[in-house]
Amino acid sequence: MRILRRWRHPASWTIFRLDDRLLLILIAVIVGTCSGLAAVALNRSLIAMFEWLHHFRHYWWSFIMPAIGAALSALFLDKMVKEGAGHGVPEVIYSVSRYGGLMRFRSSFSRLISSCLTIGSGGSAGPEAPVVMSGAAIGSNIAKLFSLNDRQRVTIVGCGAAGAISSIFNAPIAGMVFSIEVILGEWKAVNIVPIAIASVAGTEISRILQGNQIAFSHRLFHIGHLDIVACIGLAIISAVASVLLTRLLRSMHGVSKKAPFPIWVRAAAGGCAVGIIGIFLPIVLGEGYHPLRTMIEGAYTQGLGIVTLAVFAKILATSLTLGWGGSGGIFAPCLVIGSLAGLTYHRGLVLLWPSVPWVNEGCFALLGMAGLISGMLHAPLTGIFLIIEITGGYEVILPLIIVSVISTTLCHYIEPVSFYLKELVEKGQLLRPGTDARVLSDLSVQELLEKDCIIVKQNMLLRDFINIIKKSHRNYFPVEDENTGNFLGMIHLDDIRPYLFNPLMYDAVVLGQIMDTDVKVVYLDDDLSEVLRKMDVNRLFSMPVIASRKFLGMISKATLLDKYRNELMVQTDL
Amino acid sequence: MKLNLNDMARCLDLPVSTVDRWIRQGRIPIHRSGNGCIFKESILEKWAFNHGLRFSLPNEERKKERNFGLTNLLPAMQVGGVFHDIKGDDVESVLKSAVDKLPVPAINKQGLYERLLEREALTSTGIGKGVAIPHPRASLPDEIDNSLITTCFLEKPIDFEAVDDRAVFVMFILLSTSIKNHLNLLSRLAFCVRDDSFVEFLRTYPDSSSLLSKIADSENLLDKVDN
Amino acid sequence: MDAQLFHIFRNTPLGRETLLQSIYFCKKVGASLIIYIPEFTKFLMYFENDVVQIDLDNSYLTSPVTALKHAKELLDQGKIKARFLEPKNFTASTLPDIPTNFDFMCCPRSISDLSSKIGLGYIGPRVRRIVNSARFPVLITSHVFKKWRSIAVFFGGSANAVNALKLGFRISRASEMPLSVYTHMENASKESYEEIIKNENLEEEMDHYVTEWHMFERGKFEENIYDVPHYALVVLGAYGHGLIRNIFFGSKMEKIQSIITNNLLIAGPKYALTR
Repeated sequence: MRILRRWRHPASWTIFRLDDRLLLILIAVIVGTCSGLAAVALNRSLIAMFEWLHHFRHYWWSFIMPAIGAALSALFLDKMVKEGAGHGVPEVIYSVSRYGGLMRFRSSFSRLISSCLTIGSGGSAGPEAPVVMSGAAIGSNIAKLFSLNDRQRVTIVGCGAAGAISSIFNAPIAGMVFSIEVILGEWKAVNIVPIAIASVAGTEISRILQGNQIAFSHRLFHIGHLDIVACIGLAIISAVASVLLTRLLRSMHGVSKKAPFPIWVRAAAGGCAVGIIGIFLPIVLGEGYHPLRTMIEGAYTQGLGIVTLAVFAKILATSLTLGWGGSGGIFAPCLVIGSLAGLTYHRGLVLLWPSVPWVNEGCFALLGMAGLISGMLHAPLTGIFLIIEITGGYEVILPLIIVSVISTTLCHYIEPVSFYLKELVEKGQLLRPGTDARVLSDLSVQELLEKDCIIVKQNMLLRDFINIIKKSHRNYFPVEDENTGNFLGMIHLDDIRPYLFNPLMYDAVVLGQIMDTDVKVVYLDDDLSEVLRKMDVNRLFSMPVIASRKFLGMISKATLLDKYRNELMVQTDL
Repeated sequence: MKLNLNDMARCLDLPVSTVDRWIRQGRIPIHRSGNGCIFKESILEKWAFNHGLRFSLPNEERKKERNFGLTNLLPAMQVGGVFHDIKGDDVESVLKSAVDKLPVPAINKQGLYERLLEREALTSTGIGKGVAIPHPRASLPDEIDNSLITTCFLEKPIDFEAVDDRAVFVMFILLSTSIKNHLNLLSRLAFCVRDDSFVEFLRTYPDSSSLLSKIADSENLLDKVDN
Repeated sequence: MDAQLFHIFRNTPLGRETLLQSIYFCKKVGASLIIYIPEFTKFLMYFENDVVQIDLDNSYLTSPVTALKHAKELLDQGKIKARFLEPKNFTASTLPDIPTNFDFMCCPRSISDLSSKIGLGYIGPRVRRIVNSARFPVLITSHVFKKWRSIAVFFGGSANAVNALKLGFRISRASEMPLSVYTHMENASKESYEEIIKNENLEEEMDHYVTEWHMFERGKFEENIYDVPHYALVVLGAYGHGLIRNIFFGSKMEKIQSIITNNLLIAGPKYALTR
């Protein structure tokens, strides 16, 4: 019995207690494998759905299919697993920053199923965000099983996300970088080592099950100097596209929220619209890996007009699918939009300067992809590494870096917060490790209480109070009611100093008469940032803390600085 | 080692909730098991040092506490001793003969005498009612181990240029280890002298044991008022 | 500091009984009441090493207009002040996080399932998970408001039973009600139980608070339970044993809750007297 109980707490084994890195690496392998499996499962079922539904594509009613899929997925999320819609990445980041990466078990499969329904039926969305969420939830639950502490759990959640991305793209470095850059936001060796291991495990699983194929192979590009200059224009175009997508997604979200229908009707309406677009431009349907492949090979034959139209159509379809309640991520649509934008740009260039020997259009498609990913996620490194890995081409690295960096900068200028973090920042919930917001959210009022105040009663005479002043270290004296013990007000020595040296007042005044009843107070469950704001507004250095009308202690800026420093030191140094 | 959470928090001089949270977040090298904290002393000590925190086991801490606290009147007077019939016609000679009697062998008596005079030159330490409390301006943390008060009854009252111009018949020479102690002893002594009956009692030139017991009574009274 | 009891208000007659029970408990124990009137059918509770999503059924959202009014009426009748909890943080837009730093929480036997399922012997899975991961004891109310006038602690000797016993002391101290201890002996002598008390340094408190210690040497556990007065608040520790043993042999808590209609105060395995 005891052995059985012990295996669940490997953190207490002697070998791991000495150094938890070993333990984390071990668990990272398990988590990477599991989330890799989840990614492969989603990928396989998407392919199966696609093949199964392919026979119905040519019927006139095929535009209903995305509607049915989206409605089913919304119903599944809302009624069966009772989760909110959305792609889930903000949820992961939120739980990582506030609750040490605690996630529900149901999250580890719910998004897989719902996004499979949405995308498989033709909705325009990506399978990556759902896989990231599942991987993260798998990691979180495995960490929970082994009773790891918060810091370790956060790392393991990162491992899950890394394993998932690595596995779905067969791209270990992209997985690592994504997980650290977007999910954790903390570049530290303690994180990087297990996450790297998990990426390897995830990739390996995918290679075993699906073969070691590069997702989008391509021909060799010969990039000239002019091409590199031309990249700047592409970066601008992809920045515009990503801002457009962000804005449209959010406005769709707002519109659909106002619609007075149940969530599945809304999803169906969105799906229907996508289906109708899909009749004319089938490229917008699904996650779009297949058209991506043709574009990179340079085999996409449509003319400039159609391609330009397709960029906007895809943006619209994606925001219709996701904004109206479908389930999925923006990763794959970003790739498609990016490559379409790249094609458009290339064809435009060829049209304007036909004599210049431009590089193959597939190359621009690649660059556009990187531009969009970097622009949407504000994650240039993820964009660069992902493109290099999924295309297996290192020769594009220079223009790739330029496009990614410029696109990120431009997007940052227009949309200061990335798509994943926008929701969190608006709620003030983005708490990256080592930041002011994080330290303040971790500290609680309870921890800052100074309890060395002497509480006095309201009917006490000033004479008795003088004796108390003698013994006190503090300038503040809380006054409470004799009978109920309720807090009534404060006495600050500065306010009563004139009376202190007038013996005639000693027996004439009770404390109830001289206390300050209009005191700004703090409650135990107030947020510290809120408390500090109150202090700043009222120019106070300390405030009394009250719980259910009883005085608990004081909170002051001096103690806060002390604890804040401690906390910051403990948090940032690992 | 194993300690429970409350003791642990005391050792680290942090609120319980902070320690609890740090353990949960994995920020401190302590492992949790039930309500107990398992840790390695050396690792934790190093960790605490690196993060500017204090860590000391409970038994070590108690030792430190004992050195704090103020000396009371009674022990100080016991150390200082009581002397009668101090000879002298003026402030200088009285102080000179009093300093000679001080029961502090290690001290530079000439230096002390000069420092007492220096203080008298500032203003008289005669606080009225025939009582004077000569003391040096600075405390003497290096020269004496414990604060002390030496009581000197004079052979004949002399003019001390006291505030009320009454002749001084008794001196309490006050030597203290710290400013805090000095203030404490001075205020306690002043409390006793404010009481007229106490001064009357002094005028009877009591012997050492009855003086000390009177002091003990007065001091008890003082503590009672304070609480 | 005052203890706090967390209550989720259900705006139905059944919910009224539960709230009355909470009010009674708060008044007796001197705890302050915190009421959450749900706006969404689900919320999350983040515990130390677990996160529990609580899915309420739609009856919790019954006429939100009257909910606050009804709750306030009951509070006025009970002459008690309560604080209404407004969730501050949201995991997703319709998924608020409820803090978990309370001292008690009040649950009906089932919060997530249909009320038709309410009956003896059934505790909803969410309630179980709360008990399992919460650091606070959970007050599981009887279906109908029932005043309690004494405290009965089930003491089986496990570490968790000791916690339950301490909890019993705490309730007894706060409410000044008599406390009796019930022990069903399983192949162990009377002395061995006293030994446990001695090892935990609880002898003094035992003498002070406990009016009677019932030791059942023979008879079935189920039969002996009849001796627990119907007006007692039953305090017990849950899941003192491993998971596997629970599956094969069942636990005392299951037996007790399937027989008794009293109010139960259950201390889960994470319950620790930190305050």
